[in-house]
Amino acid sequence: MNEWMSLLWAEIKKEHRHSFHSSLVYFSLLIWPVVMFVTAYYSFAPFRMGADSPLARFVAPGQLPLFLLTGYLGYIFFWCLVQSAWQMSFERQAGTMEMIFISPVNRLAFVYGRSLSALVEGVWLFFCFTLLAMAFVGGIHVSGWWAVPLAFLILLVSAVVWGGFLSVLFLFSRDAGFLYTVLDEPMLIFSGVRLPPLAFPFWAKLISLCFPLTYALHMVRALLMEGAELGDLWQELGLLAGVLVLLVTASVFLLKRAERHMKRTGSMVLY
Amino acid sequence: MFQVAKATFLRNTLVMLRAYPWSFVIGHILAGVYTVLFAYFAYTHVFAGQLDDRFVRYAGSADYLSYVILGGAFYSFAVSTLMNVSRSLITELREGTLEAMLLTPSSRKGYFLGNVTQQLMRTLFEFSVILLVGRLFGLNLAGADVWSAAAVWLLSTGAFFCQALVLGSVMLRFRDTYITQNTLFVLMAFLSGVTYPTAYLPEWLQPLSQLLPLTPALEAFRHSAILGQPLSASAPQLMHMAILSAVYVAVGAVGIRRMEKRVLESIFG
Repeated sequence: MNEWMSLLWAEIKKEHRHSFHSSLVYFSLLIWPVVMFVTAYYSFAPFRMGADSPLARFVAPGQLPLFLLTGYLGYIFFWCLVQSAWQMSFERQAGTMEMIFISPVNRLAFVYGRSLSALVEGVWLFFCFTLLAMAFVGGIHVSGWWAVPLAFLILLVSAVVWGGFLSVLFLFSRDAGFLYTVLDEPMLIFSGVRLPPLAFPFWAKLISLCFPLTYALHMVRALLMEGAELGDLWQELGLLAGVLVLLVTASVFLLKRAERHMKRTGSMVLY
Repeated sequence: MFQVAKATFLRNTLVMLRAYPWSFVIGHILAGVYTVLFAYFAYTHVFAGQLDDRFVRYAGSADYLSYVILGGAFYSFAVSTLMNVSRSLITELREGTLEAMLLTPSSRKGYFLGNVTQQLMRTLFEFSVILLVGRLFGLNLAGADVWSAAAVWLLSTGAFFCQALVLGSVMLRFRDTYITQNTLFVLMAFLSGVTYPTAYLPEWLQPLSQLLPLTPALEAFRHSAILGQPLSASAPQLMHMAILSAVYVAVGAVGIRRMEKRVLESIFG
């Protein structure tokens, strides 16, 4: 176990140093979500708003800014943990992936270490979000102090598992950017970041169920916007846990296949 | 110059087909398709087709879906052009071919011309696919002035190319593509009227949107494609694009020259 933890820690440190080498990265992590949030807010401007607007069936008009802010918080949280998975292609270019897989390193520690490397950035992001929401948006309604750390924990665990799953998927392809685009943007549309999934047609609701972010956002909004008690969320927590266990199982299974595939095709290095 | 342009065109096409067959092309198409999907869901399912009264006044048409679908397609086209051209030099640097390229007496104009022609082929394909998907989700081009729209599209390529020169030199200066390009792209999506008319933005932000060539390009393209107006009706927007292009090309040319010198001195010693 100690060895597993030290491998995990080593990967977190390595990936963190690699990806977050300058203060510009932190700056971008603050600026991008803010600009994306404001853009999403203005995308609603062409529609009829107000208490009798069709939107009021799903989101109270006064809560739209907080709805979008929590949506983008969840999305960027996932996104910054998923970045390290996407950057797996750099290991191929640099030739270090071959070294990692030749060594007796625990593969799961490697994969989840990559995901967890953005933990500090996640904390920073969550802190900025809370300040922004309190200063400019308002409307936060929590039933106890524990709701904020619980929301953070829900986002963190689901994002790490999702990031690990994507890291494994990216092992199959030399062209990881393609997979990233295919999986990242649908998450933005179908997980309820900008639009409530309840408004979607049936087929789109089915797609939204495939992303852990959908469940995580539902709970984060219940905790931060509706003042939900822990007892109200057991069912949703159980569902999210089920999805995450499924993803971890799939990651373990696919990881073995990916390694076999890379060894057979010689695709551990790019050139 | 044309030989260099031809060689660059062929080399880039081979790289696209063999080394990175899917990344950027599919990525840009999907980004446009997702904008289409968002507009469709928001308009049809969330807001049941009910628009704000000011939208018709600001956009000149009540056709929200066509407005946003064309905005998404044009935004993808702008991003694609900016990325393909501006990243070219830093990609050479990363792949180790920049030093060799700078040492040869090949024409830099030819190099960029080859890049821009190759990406024209790519963006035309991406743009057409997004429009085809858009047709399924409510894009209406029945009244479009096709020739005028095509002319705006071509002129916009020129404007984006000029902007890409500035972006490329900034990328070389900071040896970063990721933060620089993505910061510009999120600002473009916010300020250029991609999914809503810029008139909705606060007044103090509107002058900023005029600094981006995408703003007048989109206005002119929508005039031709949605309202069916001839090219002459978009004269103010075209003039605006020409002025921005002249400024960007002047700054970009100086920037690229300086950065080449800097790269030669500081990186290759």
